[in-house]
Amino acid sequence: MSNMLLEAKEIHTYYGASHILHGIDFNIREGEGIALMGRNGMGKSTLIKSMLGLVRPRHGRVLVRGDDRSRARTWQIAQQGIAYVPEGRGIFKSLSVRENLLMSARAGVDGRREWTFDRVMETFPRLGERIGNGGWQLSGGEQQMLTIGRALMTNPDLLILDEATEGLAPLIAMEIWRIVKEIRKTGIATVIVDKNHGAVTSICDRAMILVKGQVVFDGSSDETRAQPELIQTHLGV
Amino acid sequence: MSYESLDIIHDEHRALAAMLSGLGTLVAGIEAGRLQPDFNLMASMIDYIEKVPEKVHHPKEDAFLFAKLRLRSKEALPIIEHLEEEHRQGDERIAALRTALETYRQNGIAGLAGFQAALKTYTAHEWQHMNMEERMIFPLAKAHLSAEDWAEIDAAFLANDNPWQGAAGEYAALFSRIVNIAPAPVGLGG
Repeated sequence: MSNMLLEAKEIHTYYGASHILHGIDFNIREGEGIALMGRNGMGKSTLIKSMLGLVRPRHGRVLVRGDDRSRARTWQIAQQGIAYVPEGRGIFKSLSVRENLLMSARAGVDGRREWTFDRVMETFPRLGERIGNGGWQLSGGEQQMLTIGRALMTNPDLLILDEATEGLAPLIAMEIWRIVKEIRKTGIATVIVDKNHGAVTSICDRAMILVKGQVVFDGSSDETRAQPELIQTHLGV
Repeated sequence: MSYESLDIIHDEHRALAAMLSGLGTLVAGIEAGRLQPDFNLMASMIDYIEKVPEKVHHPKEDAFLFAKLRLRSKEALPIIEHLEEEHRQGDERIAALRTALETYRQNGIAGLAGFQAALKTYTAHEWQHMNMEERMIFPLAKAHLSAEDWAEIDAAFLANDNPWQGAAGEYAALFSRIVNIAPAPVGLGG
């Protein structure tokens, strides 16, 4: 499909002898939002890492905009307009907020520069108050905002958020979800890995549930919310 | 079938729950000596609770969802009447919380226990209220309302202010301000 951004076909990933992903198919189109859900250890982050070249699948293919990128390096995939906000944030603690943002600034795949430093400041006014602070001086919530802001500075077509609100206080988590919702409205495709099924299904159009490295549900967020037993069975909430 | 109005109610419940949880954590931190009381912050949090759930959320439920469900389900009637009565008492309950905060501001540490108790009562009541809506009203609404009913209710909810924006982004701005000034571990301030 011409508007397909990222696809995984029949992915099998192992950590040593442990078979983690069992033939997963995944795809996301331009502008789409996918909530990737499942209990801990079900393979959500491994799927993301397998598609980004951070973990090499033993079988299967990864396609970016229809081109086979199964052997591509992570930076080559990132250059295709895919931004990753990893679990644990991964900011550069020795750099200031400004430096963290500016070091990642670049035009999008088609030359767009919609996400400028100023626009990121408007989206995260809190970062403006901390602009000269070192990464190590930021709270968890501020670090998360910085990581998302840094990803936006690459003018991505796809933003992948892995456990964006993990460990954050409920108020801060709500604020981050509010901002992500606003970002979604700009048309950036988004994959969100999170345990808060209510928040993510309200932001995303589609939901996928993984159990033991396999997709057990792939449908609209509306369908997901209409089946509380699905959430109960597979997410245990 | 999509239930956009129920999704909005879920969203608003989450926002209220987060605010109440934040206020509770703040007060527990003050009691434990980890945090200093910031009366303006606590008053802002009560403002949010009053403006969003009491002035926007509850009237919307009464006027659209409950009004329609009343016509369709006899089983839902006593539950709706109970919830509507609780909505009517909303002003009184929030006023009790404000009074307890004001007493705490005037009396200092001697007023903390009273405010904490008032907050506990308010929070327990809100949890029970939200649970009743989500566990009893939502299933009945899904079972008894028609596609046309849902279209009307969803349209009315979508036309209404939401907790994230409000008129001219008023609520979103208030929420963000609270997150920015509340000290860790509640918010980003401090």
